[in-house]
Amino acid sequence: MSSMQKQSATQSQKLMIFVLSMSLYGLATLFTELIPSFQVGIVEFSVEYFLFIPLTLSMLFDPLSAALGAATGELVFSEIMLGQFGGLGELEKFLTVTIGVYIAGRLVRDPKNRAMVGVAAFVGTAAQLLMGTVVDILKVQLAVEDFEAVAGLPESVFATEGFAFLNDLLFSGILFALLPTLYLVPKLYGKIEPLIGMAPRTRDSAVSGISPKAILVCVIGFVCAIVAELLATAGTALIDWEAEWAESGTAMAIGIVVAAIVVIAVLLVMRRAGEKKAAVN
Amino acid sequence: MSKLMQKLSENILDKFSMDFLRNQVLKNAYGNDDTVIAGLDPRILLAWYLFFGLIPWFVNDIPFLLGCFLLVMVTTILARVAGLVLFLFALGVFAQTGYLFLVTLFFGGDASAIAPLLILTLKVATISLASITVFSGLDPDKLSNGLMWYGCPERLSFSISYAYRMLPMLMEEFQNVLLSYRLRGNPPAHDTFPGKVRYLIYQVKIIMQSFYPLMLNTAKRSRTTVEALELRGYRYAAVNKAVKKIRLSALRVSYNDWLFLAISGLVVAVSVLLSTLI
Repeated sequence: MSSMQKQSATQSQKLMIFVLSMSLYGLATLFTELIPSFQVGIVEFSVEYFLFIPLTLSMLFDPLSAALGAATGELVFSEIMLGQFGGLGELEKFLTVTIGVYIAGRLVRDPKNRAMVGVAAFVGTAAQLLMGTVVDILKVQLAVEDFEAVAGLPESVFATEGFAFLNDLLFSGILFALLPTLYLVPKLYGKIEPLIGMAPRTRDSAVSGISPKAILVCVIGFVCAIVAELLATAGTALIDWEAEWAESGTAMAIGIVVAAIVVIAVLLVMRRAGEKKAAVN
Repeated sequence: MSKLMQKLSENILDKFSMDFLRNQVLKNAYGNDDTVIAGLDPRILLAWYLFFGLIPWFVNDIPFLLGCFLLVMVTTILARVAGLVLFLFALGVFAQTGYLFLVTLFFGGDASAIAPLLILTLKVATISLASITVFSGLDPDKLSNGLMWYGCPERLSFSISYAYRMLPMLMEEFQNVLLSYRLRGNPPAHDTFPGKVRYLIYQVKIIMQSFYPLMLNTAKRSRTTVEALELRGYRYAAVNKAVKKIRLSALRVSYNDWLFLAISGLVVAVSVLLSTLI
Protein backbone atom coordinates (compact mmCIF):
# COMPACT_ATOMS: atom_id res chain seq x y z
CA MET A 1 0.00 0.00 0.00
CA SER A 2 1.32 3.39 -0.93
CA SER A 3 -0.12 5.41 1.94
CA MET A 4 0.98 3.56 5.02
CA GLN A 5 2.53 6.48 6.83
CA LYS A 6 0.04 7.63 9.37
CA GLN A 7 -2.51 5.94 11.58
CA SER A 8 -2.40 2.64 9.80
CA ALA A 9 -2.22 -0.44 11.99
CA THR A 10 1.03 -1.94 13.18
CA GLN A 11 1.89 -5.55 12.36
CA SER A 12 0.63 -6.91 15.65
CA GLN A 13 -2.60 -4.93 15.40
CA LYS A 14 -3.09 -6.40 11.95
CA LEU A 15 -2.67 -9.83 13.46
CA MET A 16 -5.27 -8.93 16.11
CA ILE A 17 -7.71 -7.86 13.42
CA PHE A 18 -6.99 -11.05 11.52
CA VAL A 19 -7.67 -13.21 14.58
CA LEU A 20 -10.81 -11.26 15.49
CA SER A 21 -12.31 -11.48 12.04
CA MET A 22 -11.30 -15.11 11.67
CA SER A 23 -12.88 -16.32 14.89
CA LEU A 24 -16.12 -14.40 14.52
CA TYR A 25 -16.77 -15.15 10.88
CA GLY A 26 -15.58 -18.71 11.33
CA LEU A 27 -18.05 -19.25 14.15
CA ALA A 28 -20.88 -17.77 12.10
CA THR A 29 -20.13 -19.82 8.98
CA LEU A 30 -19.92 -22.91 11.14
CA PHE A 31 -23.51 -22.30 12.18
CA THR A 32 -24.67 -21.72 8.64
CA GLU A 33 -22.98 -24.93 7.61
CA LEU A 34 -24.68 -26.85 10.40
CA ILE A 35 -28.17 -25.42 10.11
CA PRO A 36 -29.77 -26.79 6.97
CA SER A 37 -31.52 -24.25 4.80
CA PHE A 38 -35.14 -24.82 3.86
CA GLN A 39 -36.86 -24.00 0.64
CA VAL A 40 -40.31 -22.64 0.00
CA GLY A 41 -41.05 -23.22 -3.64
CA ILE A 42 -37.85 -22.22 -5.38
CA VAL A 43 -37.07 -19.40 -3.00
CA GLU A 44 -34.42 -20.50 -0.60
CA PHE A 45 -34.61 -19.23 2.95
CA SER A 46 -31.41 -19.76 4.76
CA VAL A 47 -29.64 -18.19 7.66
CA GLU A 48 -26.78 -17.86 5.27
CA TYR A 49 -24.78 -14.77 4.99
CA PHE A 50 -23.16 -13.65 8.10
CA LEU A 51 -21.06 -11.53 5.78
CA PHE A 52 -22.01 -8.52 7.86
CA ILE A 53 -19.33 -9.49 10.38
CA PRO A 54 -16.28 -9.09 8.13
CA LEU A 55 -17.98 -6.15 6.38
CA THR A 56 -18.34 -4.33 9.67
CA LEU A 57 -14.80 -5.12 10.72
CA SER A 58 -13.32 -4.12 7.39
CA MET A 59 -15.04 -0.74 7.61
CA LEU A 60 -13.75 -0.11 11.11
CA PHE A 61 -10.23 -1.51 10.77
CA ASP A 62 -7.62 -2.37 8.19
CA PRO A 63 -9.65 -3.87 5.30
CA LEU A 64 -7.07 -6.32 4.05
CA SER A 65 -6.47 -8.03 7.40
CA ALA A 66 -10.19 -8.26 8.09
CA ALA A 67 -10.85 -9.69 4.62
CA LEU A 68 -8.07 -12.27 4.80
CA GLY A 69 -9.11 -13.21 8.32
CA ALA A 70 -12.70 -13.77 7.28
CA ALA A 71 -11.75 -15.92 4.33
CA THR A 72 -9.33 -17.96 6.45
CA GLY A 73 -11.93 -18.33 9.17
CA GLU A 74 -14.46 -19.71 6.75
CA LEU A 75 -11.88 -22.08 5.30
CA VAL A 76 -10.70 -23.38 8.64
CA PHE A 77 -13.86 -23.46 10.76
CA SER A 78 -16.51 -24.54 8.31
CA GLU A 79 -14.51 -26.39 5.66
CA ILE A 80 -11.54 -28.05 7.28
CA MET A 81 -13.04 -28.65 10.72
CA LEU A 82 -16.14 -30.24 9.30
CA GLY A 83 -14.25 -32.08 6.60
CA GLN A 84 -16.04 -30.22 3.83
CA PHE A 85 -12.87 -29.11 2.15
CA GLY A 86 -13.46 -29.13 -1.59
CA GLY A 87 -10.04 -28.51 -3.10
CA LEU A 88 -10.00 -26.06 -5.98
CA GLY A 89 -13.46 -24.72 -5.24
CA GLU A 90 -12.31 -23.42 -1.88
CA LEU A 91 -9.62 -21.32 -3.49
CA GLU A 92 -12.29 -19.54 -5.47
CA LYS A 93 -14.44 -18.97 -2.37
CA PHE A 94 -11.44 -17.73 -0.44
CA LEU A 95 -10.58 -15.20 -3.12
CA THR A 96 -14.12 -13.96 -3.74
CA VAL A 97 -14.81 -13.40 -0.04
CA THR A 98 -11.50 -11.61 0.35
CA ILE A 99 -12.10 -9.35 -2.64
CA GLY A 100 -15.71 -8.57 -1.74
CA VAL A 101 -14.91 -7.62 1.85
CA TYR A 102 -11.79 -5.73 0.82
CA ILE A 103 -13.69 -3.63 -1.73
CA ALA A 104 -16.35 -2.79 0.84
CA GLY A 105 -13.74 -1.81 3.41
CA ARG A 106 -11.84 0.41 0.99
CA LEU A 107 -15.01 2.14 -0.23
CA VAL A 108 -15.84 3.58 3.18
CA ARG A 109 -14.06 6.85 3.81
CA ASP A 110 -15.83 7.76 7.00
CA PRO A 111 -17.52 5.05 9.10
CA LYS A 112 -19.90 7.65 10.53
CA ASN A 113 -21.43 8.30 7.13
CA ARG A 114 -24.35 5.87 7.07
CA ALA A 115 -25.15 6.16 3.39
CA MET A 116 -21.58 5.35 2.49
CA VAL A 117 -21.58 2.33 4.80
CA GLY A 118 -24.81 1.03 3.27
CA VAL A 119 -23.59 1.44 -0.31
CA ALA A 120 -20.28 -0.19 0.52
CA ALA A 121 -21.94 -3.16 2.23
CA PHE A 122 -24.23 -3.69 -0.74
CA VAL A 123 -21.45 -3.35 -3.33
CA GLY A 124 -19.17 -5.72 -1.43
CA THR A 125 -21.89 -8.36 -1.13
CA ALA A 126 -22.88 -8.00 -4.77
CA ALA A 127 -19.27 -8.29 -5.93
CA GLN A 128 -18.73 -11.43 -3.90
CA LEU A 129 -21.96 -13.05 -5.09
CA LEU A 130 -21.40 -12.13 -8.73
CA MET A 131 -17.91 -13.60 -8.82
CA GLY A 132 -19.20 -16.74 -7.13
CA THR A 133 -21.98 -17.07 -9.71
CA VAL A 134 -19.63 -16.69 -12.68
CA VAL A 135 -17.25 -19.29 -11.30
CA ASP A 136 -20.12 -21.67 -10.46
CA ILE A 137 -21.46 -21.59 -14.00
CA LEU A 138 -18.00 -22.23 -15.40
CA LYS A 139 -17.48 -25.10 -13.00
CA VAL A 140 -20.57 -27.01 -14.05
CA GLN A 141 -19.83 -26.33 -17.71
CA LEU A 142 -16.38 -27.81 -17.39
CA ALA A 143 -17.23 -30.76 -15.19
CA VAL A 144 -20.07 -32.17 -17.27
CA GLU A 145 -18.89 -33.70 -20.52
CA ASP A 146 -20.81 -32.62 -23.64
CA PHE A 147 -22.38 -29.82 -21.71
CA GLU A 148 -24.27 -28.44 -24.69
CA ALA A 149 -25.46 -31.87 -25.79
CA VAL A 150 -27.53 -32.65 -22.70
CA ALA A 151 -31.04 -31.38 -23.34
CA GLY A 152 -32.14 -28.59 -21.06
CA LEU A 153 -28.98 -28.53 -18.97
CA PRO A 154 -27.39 -25.24 -20.16
CA GLU A 155 -30.56 -23.23 -19.67
CA SER A 156 -31.18 -24.82 -16.32
CA VAL A 157 -27.70 -24.01 -15.07
CA PHE A 158 -27.97 -20.38 -16.16
CA ALA A 159 -31.45 -20.13 -14.70
CA THR A 160 -30.64 -21.69 -11.34
CA GLU A 161 -27.42 -19.77 -10.93
CA GLY A 162 -28.92 -16.48 -12.05
CA PHE A 163 -31.90 -16.96 -9.83
CA ALA A 164 -29.74 -17.94 -6.88
CA PHE A 165 -27.69 -14.80 -7.41
CA LEU A 166 -30.72 -12.50 -7.39
CA ASN A 167 -32.29 -14.35 -4.49
CA ASP A 168 -29.12 -14.16 -2.44
CA LEU A 169 -28.53 -10.53 -3.25
CA LEU A 170 -32.05 -9.28 -2.58
CA PHE A 171 -32.97 -11.54 0.29
CA SER A 172 -29.81 -12.44 2.18
CA GLY A 173 -27.89 -9.44 0.89
CA ILE A 174 -30.29 -6.87 2.27
CA LEU A 175 -31.54 -8.69 5.34
CA PHE A 176 -28.34 -10.31 6.52
CA ALA A 177 -25.62 -8.06 5.14
CA LEU A 178 -26.95 -4.55 4.74
CA LEU A 179 -29.17 -4.02 7.77
CA PRO A 180 -26.88 -5.55 10.42
CA THR A 181 -23.92 -3.62 9.02
CA LEU A 182 -25.88 -0.40 9.24
CA TYR A 183 -26.78 -1.27 12.81
CA LEU A 184 -23.35 -2.39 13.95
CA VAL A 185 -20.91 0.02 12.32
CA PRO A 186 -22.12 3.24 14.02
CA LYS A 187 -22.66 1.40 17.28
CA LEU A 188 -19.19 -0.13 17.38
CA TYR A 189 -17.41 2.93 16.03
CA GLY A 190 -15.18 4.42 18.70
CA LYS A 191 -15.88 1.58 21.12
CA ILE A 192 -14.12 -1.39 19.60
CA GLU A 193 -10.96 0.37 18.44
CA PRO A 194 -9.59 1.13 21.93
CA LEU A 195 -9.91 -2.56 22.78
CA ILE A 196 -7.38 -3.32 20.06
CA GLY A 197 -5.35 -0.29 21.05
CA MET A 198 -5.79 1.96 18.07
CA ALA A 199 -7.47 5.23 17.17
CA PRO A 200 -10.84 5.18 15.37
CA ARG A 201 -10.73 5.49 11.63
CA THR A 202 -11.44 8.98 10.36
CA ARG A 203 -11.93 10.68 7.02
CA ASP A 204 -8.24 11.28 6.50
CA SER A 205 -6.72 8.15 7.99
CA ALA A 206 -4.66 6.09 5.64
CA VAL A 207 -6.72 3.04 4.74
CA SER A 208 -9.79 4.72 3.22
CA GLY A 209 -10.62 5.21 -0.40
CA ILE A 210 -10.35 3.12 -3.54
CA SER A 211 -7.00 3.63 -5.22
CA PRO A 212 -6.00 2.30 -8.64
CA LYS A 213 -3.63 -0.01 -6.85
CA ALA A 214 -6.45 -1.55 -4.82
CA ILE A 215 -8.49 -2.12 -7.96
CA LEU A 216 -5.48 -3.75 -9.59
CA VAL A 217 -5.06 -6.10 -6.63
CA CYS A 218 -8.73 -7.10 -6.83
CA VAL A 219 -8.52 -7.75 -10.56
CA ILE A 220 -5.43 -9.89 -10.08
CA GLY A 221 -7.25 -11.85 -7.38
CA PHE A 222 -10.23 -12.49 -9.62
CA VAL A 223 -7.90 -13.56 -12.42
CA CYS A 224 -6.39 -16.07 -9.99
CA ALA A 225 -9.87 -17.46 -9.34
CA ILE A 226 -10.40 -17.76 -13.10
CA VAL A 227 -6.98 -19.42 -13.48
CA ALA A 228 -8.12 -22.10 -11.05
CA GLU A 229 -10.90 -22.72 -13.54
CA LEU A 230 -8.53 -22.69 -16.52
CA LEU A 231 -6.62 -25.40 -14.72
CA ALA A 232 -9.79 -27.41 -14.88
CA THR A 233 -10.01 -26.74 -18.63
CA ALA A 234 -6.52 -28.14 -18.98
CA GLY A 235 -8.06 -31.23 -17.43
CA THR A 236 -10.05 -31.89 -20.61
CA ALA A 237 -6.77 -32.59 -22.37
CA LEU A 238 -5.98 -35.00 -19.58
CA ILE A 239 -9.23 -36.88 -20.23
CA ASP A 240 -8.29 -37.50 -23.84
CA TRP A 241 -4.89 -38.67 -22.81
CA GLU A 242 -6.40 -41.00 -20.26
CA ALA A 243 -8.79 -42.57 -22.75
CA GLU A 244 -6.04 -43.12 -25.31
CA TRP A 245 -3.86 -44.73 -22.74
CA ALA A 246 -6.69 -46.90 -21.49
CA GLU A 247 -7.24 -48.53 -24.87
CA SER A 248 -3.77 -49.93 -25.23
CA GLY A 249 -2.91 -50.18 -21.57
CA THR A 250 -4.44 -53.43 -20.36
CA ALA A 251 -0.99 -55.01 -20.06
CA MET A 252 0.29 -51.92 -18.32
CA ALA A 253 -2.62 -51.91 -15.88
CA ILE A 254 -1.97 -55.57 -15.08
CA GLY A 255 1.66 -54.66 -14.51
CA ILE A 256 0.69 -51.92 -12.07
CA VAL A 257 -1.67 -54.25 -10.21
CA VAL A 258 1.04 -56.90 -9.86
CA ALA A 259 3.59 -54.29 -8.78
CA ALA A 260 1.18 -52.93 -6.14
CA ILE A 261 0.55 -56.44 -4.78
CA VAL A 262 4.28 -57.14 -4.61
CA VAL A 263 4.88 -53.83 -2.83
CA ILE A 264 2.16 -54.61 -0.29
CA ALA A 265 3.61 -58.07 0.37
CA VAL A 266 7.13 -56.68 0.80
CA LEU A 267 5.87 -53.96 3.13
CA LEU A 268 3.98 -56.46 5.26
CA VAL A 269 7.09 -58.63 5.61
CA MET A 270 9.22 -55.61 6.42
CA ARG A 271 6.78 -54.40 9.01
CA ARG A 272 6.74 -57.77 10.71
CA ALA A 273 10.55 -57.83 10.69
CA GLY A 274 10.60 -54.32 12.15
CA GLU A 275 8.17 -55.33 14.91
CA LYS A 276 10.31 -58.36 15.79
CA LYS A 277 13.36 -56.16 15.97
CA ALA A 278 11.52 -53.73 18.23
CA ALA A 279 10.41 -56.62 20.43
CA VAL A 280 14.00 -57.89 20.74
CA ASN A 281 15.24 -54.45 21.62
CA MET B 1 -51.61 -33.47 11.83
CA SER B 2 -50.62 -30.12 13.27
CA LYS B 3 -49.80 -31.80 16.54
CA LEU B 4 -47.59 -34.26 14.73
CA MET B 5 -45.84 -31.45 12.91
CA GLN B 6 -45.29 -29.63 16.16
CA LYS B 7 -43.85 -32.72 17.76
CA LEU B 8 -41.60 -33.30 14.77
CA SER B 9 -40.27 -29.76 14.74
CA GLU B 10 -39.68 -29.89 18.48
CA ASN B 11 -37.80 -33.13 18.02
CA ILE B 12 -35.60 -31.65 15.31
CA LEU B 13 -34.99 -28.53 17.37
CA ASP B 14 -33.93 -30.74 20.25
CA LYS B 15 -31.45 -32.51 18.04
CA PHE B 16 -30.01 -29.27 16.81
CA SER B 17 -29.43 -27.65 20.15
CA MET B 18 -26.24 -25.74 20.68
CA ASP B 19 -24.80 -28.45 22.92
CA PHE B 20 -25.42 -31.11 20.32
CA LEU B 21 -23.61 -29.10 17.69
CA ARG B 22 -20.72 -28.42 20.01
CA ASN B 23 -20.40 -32.06 20.96
CA GLN B 24 -20.44 -33.19 17.37
CA VAL B 25 -17.80 -30.71 16.31
CA LEU B 26 -15.58 -31.57 19.25
CA LYS B 27 -16.06 -35.26 18.67
CA ASN B 28 -15.08 -34.76 15.08
CA ALA B 29 -11.97 -32.87 16.05
CA TYR B 30 -10.66 -34.81 19.01
CA GLY B 31 -12.83 -37.90 19.37
CA ASN B 32 -11.04 -40.25 17.01
CA ASP B 33 -7.36 -40.26 17.76
CA ASP B 34 -7.11 -44.03 17.83
CA THR B 35 -8.27 -44.86 14.31
CA VAL B 36 -6.10 -46.28 11.56
CA ILE B 37 -6.34 -43.04 9.62
CA ALA B 38 -5.38 -40.87 12.58
CA GLY B 39 -2.23 -42.93 13.06
CA LEU B 40 -0.91 -42.18 9.59
CA ASP B 41 1.62 -39.53 8.74
CA PRO B 42 -0.08 -36.25 7.77
CA ARG B 43 2.27 -35.66 4.84
CA ILE B 44 1.40 -39.00 3.27
CA LEU B 45 -2.30 -38.41 3.84
CA LEU B 46 -2.15 -34.96 2.26
CA ALA B 47 -0.36 -36.34 -0.79
CA TRP B 48 -3.02 -39.07 -0.96
CA TYR B 49 -5.70 -36.41 -0.73
CA LEU B 50 -4.09 -34.42 -3.53
CA PHE B 51 -4.60 -37.42 -5.81
CA PHE B 52 -8.18 -38.27 -4.78
CA GLY B 53 -9.23 -34.65 -4.45
CA LEU B 54 -8.03 -33.65 -7.89
CA ILE B 55 -7.84 -36.55 -10.36
CA PRO B 56 -11.56 -37.52 -10.22
CA TRP B 57 -12.49 -34.08 -11.57
CA PHE B 58 -10.63 -34.82 -14.78
CA VAL B 59 -11.68 -38.41 -15.44
CA ASN B 60 -15.05 -39.45 -16.83
CA ASP B 61 -14.51 -43.19 -16.74
CA ILE B 62 -17.24 -44.86 -14.64
CA PRO B 63 -15.29 -47.95 -13.41
CA PHE B 64 -12.40 -45.73 -12.37
CA LEU B 65 -14.68 -43.32 -10.52
CA LEU B 66 -16.52 -46.18 -8.84
CA GLY B 67 -13.24 -47.73 -7.72
CA CYS B 68 -12.08 -44.44 -6.23
CA PHE B 69 -15.47 -43.91 -4.60
CA LEU B 70 -15.41 -47.34 -2.94
CA LEU B 71 -11.89 -46.74 -1.68
CA VAL B 72 -12.66 -43.38 -0.11
CA MET B 73 -15.85 -44.82 1.36
CA VAL B 74 -13.79 -47.48 3.15
CA THR B 75 -11.31 -44.89 4.40
CA THR B 76 -14.17 -42.72 5.68
CA ILE B 77 -15.54 -45.68 7.63
CA LEU B 78 -12.02 -46.33 8.99
CA ALA B 79 -11.74 -42.71 10.11
CA ARG B 80 -14.97 -43.00 12.15
CA VAL B 81 -16.30 -39.61 11.20
CA ALA B 82 -19.02 -37.99 13.32
CA GLY B 83 -22.58 -38.58 12.15
CA LEU B 84 -23.40 -34.94 11.62
CA VAL B 85 -20.57 -34.52 9.14
CA LEU B 86 -21.79 -37.46 7.09
CA PHE B 87 -25.31 -36.07 7.15
CA LEU B 88 -24.03 -32.74 5.86
CA PHE B 89 -22.09 -34.58 3.17
CA ALA B 90 -25.22 -36.38 1.95
CA LEU B 91 -27.18 -33.15 2.00
CA GLY B 92 -24.43 -31.36 0.10
CA VAL B 93 -24.21 -33.98 -2.64
CA PHE B 94 -27.94 -33.96 -3.14
CA ALA B 95 -28.12 -30.18 -3.14
CA GLN B 96 -25.40 -29.99 -5.75
CA THR B 97 -26.67 -32.53 -8.24
CA GLY B 98 -30.17 -33.67 -7.30
CA TYR B 99 -31.51 -30.17 -7.44
CA LEU B 100 -29.84 -29.61 -10.79
CA PHE B 101 -31.47 -32.78 -12.11
CA LEU B 102 -34.94 -31.64 -11.04
CA VAL B 103 -34.48 -28.30 -12.75
CA THR B 104 -33.15 -30.02 -15.86
CA LEU B 105 -36.34 -32.05 -16.00
CA PHE B 106 -38.31 -28.87 -15.57
CA PHE B 107 -36.61 -27.31 -18.59
CA GLY B 108 -37.59 -30.19 -20.85
CA GLY B 109 -34.59 -32.41 -20.31
CA ASP B 110 -35.31 -36.15 -20.13
CA ALA B 111 -33.69 -39.23 -18.69
CA SER B 112 -30.62 -38.69 -20.89
CA ALA B 113 -29.50 -36.15 -18.34
CA ILE B 114 -29.03 -38.88 -15.74
CA ALA B 115 -25.74 -40.33 -17.01
CA PRO B 116 -23.68 -37.12 -16.98
CA LEU B 117 -25.23 -36.13 -13.68
CA LEU B 118 -24.43 -39.54 -12.23
CA ILE B 119 -20.80 -39.02 -13.20
CA LEU B 120 -20.89 -35.57 -11.65
CA THR B 121 -22.39 -36.99 -8.44
CA LEU B 122 -19.71 -39.68 -8.27
CA LYS B 123 -17.00 -37.08 -8.72
CA VAL B 124 -18.41 -34.77 -6.07
CA ALA B 125 -18.97 -37.63 -3.64
CA THR B 126 -15.47 -39.05 -4.10
CA ILE B 127 -13.80 -35.71 -3.61
CA SER B 128 -15.83 -34.78 -0.55
CA LEU B 129 -15.32 -38.16 1.09
CA ALA B 130 -11.59 -37.93 0.49
CA SER B 131 -11.53 -34.56 2.17
CA ILE B 132 -13.68 -35.82 5.05
CA THR B 133 -11.23 -38.67 5.57
CA VAL B 134 -8.20 -36.43 5.67
CA PHE B 135 -9.52 -33.37 7.46
CA SER B 136 -11.77 -35.04 10.01
CA GLY B 137 -9.66 -38.13 10.44
CA LEU B 138 -6.52 -36.30 11.45
CA ASP B 139 -6.28 -34.40 14.66
CA PRO B 140 -5.70 -30.66 14.20
CA ASP B 141 -2.12 -30.46 15.41
CA LYS B 142 -0.99 -33.20 13.06
CA LEU B 143 -2.90 -31.63 10.21
CA SER B 144 -1.35 -28.22 10.72
CA ASN B 145 2.13 -29.76 11.00
CA GLY B 146 1.56 -31.60 7.75
CA LEU B 147 0.42 -28.46 5.99
CA MET B 148 3.41 -26.60 7.35
CA TRP B 149 5.79 -29.23 6.01
CA TYR B 150 4.39 -28.62 2.54
CA GLY B 151 5.19 -24.94 2.92
CA CYS B 152 1.70 -23.62 3.61
CA PRO B 153 1.78 -20.18 5.20
CA GLU B 154 2.33 -20.22 8.93
CA ARG B 155 -0.86 -18.17 9.30
CA LEU B 156 -2.93 -21.11 8.08
CA SER B 157 -1.52 -23.69 10.46
CA PHE B 158 -1.78 -21.17 13.28
CA SER B 159 -5.42 -20.58 12.35
CA ILE B 160 -6.19 -24.28 12.39
CA SER B 161 -4.69 -24.84 15.82
CA TYR B 162 -6.28 -21.68 17.17
CA ALA B 163 -9.69 -22.53 15.74
CA TYR B 164 -9.83 -25.95 17.31
CA ARG B 165 -8.75 -24.66 20.70
CA MET B 166 -10.97 -21.60 20.75
CA LEU B 167 -14.10 -22.87 19.15
CA PRO B 168 -15.69 -24.47 22.24
CA MET B 169 -15.14 -21.27 24.19
CA LEU B 170 -16.51 -19.08 21.43
CA MET B 171 -19.59 -21.24 21.07
CA GLU B 172 -20.25 -21.13 24.78
CA GLU B 173 -19.85 -17.39 24.88
CA PHE B 174 -22.19 -16.92 21.94
CA GLN B 175 -24.73 -19.12 23.67
CA ASN B 176 -24.45 -17.14 26.89
CA VAL B 177 -24.91 -13.83 25.13
CA LEU B 178 -27.86 -15.19 23.21
CA LEU B 179 -29.49 -16.56 26.34
CA SER B 180 -29.07 -13.30 28.22
CA TYR B 181 -30.71 -11.44 25.35
CA ARG B 182 -33.57 -13.93 25.45
CA LEU B 183 -33.94 -13.48 29.19
CA ARG B 184 -34.26 -9.75 28.89
CA GLY B 185 -36.41 -9.77 25.78
CA ASN B 186 -40.12 -10.21 25.37
CA PRO B 187 -40.81 -12.49 22.43
CA PRO B 188 -44.02 -11.87 20.45
CA ALA B 189 -46.80 -14.44 20.73
CA HIS B 190 -46.46 -17.07 18.04
CA ASP B 191 -49.79 -18.90 17.82
CA THR B 192 -50.99 -17.43 14.54
CA PHE B 193 -49.13 -17.28 11.25
CA PRO B 194 -48.30 -13.53 11.35
CA GLY B 195 -47.20 -14.09 14.93
CA LYS B 196 -44.88 -16.85 13.79
CA VAL B 197 -43.34 -14.58 11.17
CA ARG B 198 -42.87 -11.87 13.79
CA TYR B 199 -41.32 -14.47 16.10
CA LEU B 200 -38.87 -15.53 13.41
CA ILE B 201 -37.91 -11.93 12.73
CA TYR B 202 -37.47 -11.42 16.45
CA GLN B 203 -35.15 -14.43 16.69
CA VAL B 204 -33.03 -13.31 13.75
CA LYS B 205 -32.83 -9.82 15.21
CA ILE B 206 -31.61 -11.18 18.52
CA ILE B 207 -28.92 -13.19 16.81
CA MET B 208 -27.75 -10.11 14.93
CA GLN B 209 -27.79 -7.98 18.05
CA SER B 210 -25.89 -10.52 20.10
CA PHE B 211 -22.96 -10.09 17.76
CA TYR B 212 -22.44 -6.61 19.20
CA PRO B 213 -21.22 -7.74 22.64
CA LEU B 214 -19.61 -10.77 21.07
CA MET B 215 -17.52 -8.58 18.79
CA LEU B 216 -16.35 -6.45 21.69
CA ASN B 217 -15.46 -9.49 23.78
CA THR B 218 -13.66 -11.20 20.94
CA ALA B 219 -11.71 -8.04 20.20
CA LYS B 220 -10.46 -8.02 23.77
CA ARG B 221 -9.63 -11.70 23.60
CA SER B 222 -7.78 -11.47 20.32
CA ARG B 223 -5.68 -8.64 21.69
CA THR B 224 -4.73 -10.84 24.65
CA THR B 225 -3.93 -13.73 22.35
CA VAL B 226 -1.75 -11.69 20.04
CA GLU B 227 0.07 -10.01 22.88
CA ALA B 228 0.78 -13.39 24.45
CA LEU B 229 2.06 -14.61 21.09
CA GLU B 230 4.24 -11.54 20.67
CA LEU B 231 5.76 -12.03 24.10
CA ARG B 232 7.03 -15.39 22.95
CA GLY B 233 8.36 -13.99 19.72
CA TYR B 234 5.71 -15.59 17.52
CA ARG B 235 6.23 -13.41 14.46
CA TYR B 236 9.97 -14.11 14.39
CA ALA B 237 9.53 -17.79 15.10
CA ALA B 238 7.00 -18.10 12.28
CA VAL B 239 9.57 -17.26 9.63
CA ASN B 240 12.58 -18.87 11.28
CA LYS B 241 13.80 -22.06 9.59
CA ALA B 242 15.36 -23.56 12.72
CA VAL B 243 12.10 -23.27 14.66
CA LYS B 244 10.21 -24.91 11.84
CA LYS B 245 12.66 -27.78 11.82
CA ILE B 246 12.20 -28.38 15.54
CA ARG B 247 8.44 -28.31 15.20
CA LEU B 248 8.40 -30.77 12.36
CA SER B 249 10.96 -33.20 13.74
CA ALA B 250 8.20 -35.31 15.30
CA LEU B 251 6.86 -36.41 11.91
CA ARG B 252 7.77 -39.98 10.99
CA VAL B 253 6.80 -42.08 7.99
CA SER B 254 6.24 -45.69 9.00
CA TYR B 255 5.54 -48.92 7.13
CA ASN B 256 1.85 -48.38 7.75
CA ASP B 257 1.96 -45.23 5.66
CA TRP B 258 3.58 -46.95 2.71
CA LEU B 259 1.14 -49.83 3.09
CA PHE B 260 -1.75 -47.39 2.97
CA LEU B 261 -0.38 -45.80 -0.21
CA ALA B 262 0.26 -49.18 -1.80
CA ILE B 263 -3.24 -50.46 -1.09
CA SER B 264 -4.74 -47.27 -2.52
CA GLY B 265 -2.53 -47.70 -5.57
CA LEU B 266 -3.71 -51.28 -5.93
CA VAL B 267 -7.39 -50.29 -5.86
CA VAL B 268 -6.81 -47.56 -8.43
CA ALA B 269 -4.83 -49.91 -10.68
CA VAL B 270 -7.53 -52.59 -10.45
CA SER B 271 -10.21 -50.08 -11.41
CA VAL B 272 -8.11 -48.88 -14.36
CA LEU B 273 -7.66 -52.52 -15.37
CA LEU B 274 -11.40 -53.11 -15.18
CA SER B 275 -12.10 -50.06 -17.30
CA THR B 276 -9.66 -51.27 -19.98
CA LEU B 277 -11.24 -54.72 -19.97
CA ILE B 278 -14.79 -53.46 -20.38
